[in-house]
Amino acid sequence: MISIQNIQKTYQSGDIKVQALQNINLTINKGEFTAIVGPSGSGKTTLLNIIGGLDSPTEGSIRINTTEITQLPENELIDFRLHHIGFVFQSYNLIPVLTAKENVEFLMLLQKQGDQFRNERTLKLLKAVGLEDQVNKKPNEMSGGQQQRVAVARALASKPSFVLADEPTANLDSKSSENLLDIMQQLNKVENTTFIFSTHDQRVIDKANRIITIEDGKVISDTHHSKD
Amino acid sequence: MILKLAWRNIFRNKRRSIITVSSIVFAVVFAVTMRSLQHGAYDNMLKNIVGNYLGYVQVHFKGFWNEKTIDNSFYIEDLDSLKNDPTVTFINPRIEGFALASHKKESKPVVILGLDAKMENQNTPIKESLINGEFLSDNSDGILIGKGLQKIMNVQMGDSLVFLSQGYQGSIASGIYPINGIVDLKTPDLNRRTVIMNLNRAQDFFGINHMATSAIIGPKIDEWEKTEKSIKEQLDSSQFEVMNWQQMLPELKQLIDVDRAGGTFVLIILYSILTFSLFGTVLMLAEERNFEFGVLVAIGMRKSMIIRVAILETLIMALVGVILGLLLVIPIVTYFHFYPINLSGQMQEVVEQFGFEAIIPTSLDPSISLTQTFIVFMITILVNLYTIIKIKNIQPSKAMRA
Ligand SMILES: Nc1ncnc2c1ncn2[C@@H]1O[C@H](COP(=O)(O)OP(=O)(O)OP(=O)(O)O)[C@@H](O)[C@H]1O
Ligand SMILES: [Mg+2]
Repeated sequence: MISIQNIQKTYQSGDIKVQALQNINLTINKGEFTAIVGPSGSGKTTLLNIIGGLDSPTEGSIRINTTEITQLPENELIDFRLHHIGFVFQSYNLIPVLTAKENVEFLMLLQKQGDQFRNERTLKLLKAVGLEDQVNKKPNEMSGGQQQRVAVARALASKPSFVLADEPTANLDSKSSENLLDIMQQLNKVENTTFIFSTHDQRVIDKANRIITIEDGKVISDTHHSKD
Repeated sequence: MILKLAWRNIFRNKRRSIITVSSIVFAVVFAVTMRSLQHGAYDNMLKNIVGNYLGYVQVHFKGFWNEKTIDNSFYIEDLDSLKNDPTVTFINPRIEGFALASHKKESKPVVILGLDAKMENQNTPIKESLINGEFLSDNSDGILIGKGLQKIMNVQMGDSLVFLSQGYQGSIASGIYPINGIVDLKTPDLNRRTVIMNLNRAQDFFGINHMATSAIIGPKIDEWEKTEKSIKEQLDSSQFEVMNWQQMLPELKQLIDVDRAGGTFVLIILYSILTFSLFGTVLMLAEERNFEFGVLVAIGMRKSMIIRVAILETLIMALVGVILGLLLVIPIVTYFHFYPINLSGQMQEVVEQFGFEAIIPTSLDPSISLTQTFIVFMITILVNLYTIIKIKNIQPSKAMRA
């Protein structure tokens, strides 16, 4: 469970203060498949970064299960991310010198998982994202959609409590976008991993079972779709 | 895994890695060659002049160096006490005195060098200077003359020279001696004016039995400073003067110092260029990969580990550069050690005017390579401080926004 309380974020650039987030209160439960939507500049990236501990809020608290992550020292926060949070970014987020398989394995190596476990999970995940025949390709030998699917596999490899994805489909065509979302949805069901993603794309929004809309740094609606 | 990442990163931008490695190779080759030539030149001068002829430390009767007359002689047995000094390997008494040499119509001032043949053979390489004839044998009257002198006097082996000089306390010294051999003392100046004879013959000639004007003190290898200090403490300073080669040959010492400083200056420039070239690589690397480092920190890789990857990359390149550099430079330096560079034309004239042999063999002293290698590594590490600071300050949200 992720509990977001009273989050404020103010950016200061020179004399100008930008209120990127104001008084955000949210609770996200295990297994949710949540979309954060809103116009450009509304604060989606800022919110996801703060939930993922990549940025610190000006005020407020983020509690993940029992850990208050805003209070963690740097190395512990990095380790926390390694063990509890999976990330998919908009683009270029694979390690360019590693193959698809090595990219997926990477976090498990950092977690010091055993050989056999790593191998099995890597192959299982690459199969789940439909790339079992691309395991030895480097990122620059794959399409954007394929790279994002590797990124999703990598995000799940560490068995995180939840996956954060900031506009994962922004650079993909509509077919690849839909495909990626289907895969994420499938993994959300199979592994019961919470997904939180931001998007502009209406077709992607439709797949979510909870839609949080923000505007000017404030939550303006929060709707649940009970899906079949 | 760290090694794998570092290794693949090096091959990712091949051209830049090649530039980095080759600038290190170039620096190593250039620095080692230059230093080896310099040290080789010094070694050669020292070997020829100091090692073969002058000795690193000499003892004279007090005042002899300033006024080289036979009257400033001492009894050889007065130095016997030095034989027990553990820093002394040998004591070679010598006589150095001026005389006028004549053959037919030709007359020239020369320096008569009286040597104890047996002791010199044991302890100094002066015998190797013989290029024709026979070296001194124990009781021969024969003399050896410098090859320059042979030309000037227009004499052959077997001819005799007549010497005339002032002996001990105003006596007249004269004698006739057959030429038994020609020597090359490797310095044109010495070759023009040196005559070598047995110590006892020189004693007879100058009328100073049991005496000598100087003694060459053999130091333990490379520790002549210690020997000098030790014998200074033992000898009566009102009777003897102890001098080292730097005092006896201040020009040589000065020449070496100036040359070394010039070389150091060139090396500082070379290493500054290398530093900037490496710094450029590191700078580009850090800027270019800022986004990537941000991603790595975001997904859970500790900064210390990223730093290790980055440092390993530069260290591997430095290592490859240094090894290639050494592989390249060692044969070059070795070759010129055994086949020294012969100066020709004007350079030759200038060098010979100073009284030095106009060849430059390279030094094979491994400490030269070690020092230069060490400096290259230090620069590599220094330059990497930037990467370390850069990575330490990464904020993933900012790095990935760019
Ligand atoms: N580092 C920063 N310094 C100053 N202002 C910032 C910074 N980062 C974001 N902002 C501002 O905060 C607000 C929210 O930005 P954010 O990137 O979260 O929006 P977004 O919803 O992700 O937009 P988009 O859909 O275009 O990605 C914007 O007004 C932006 O200009
Ligand atoms: Mg954004």
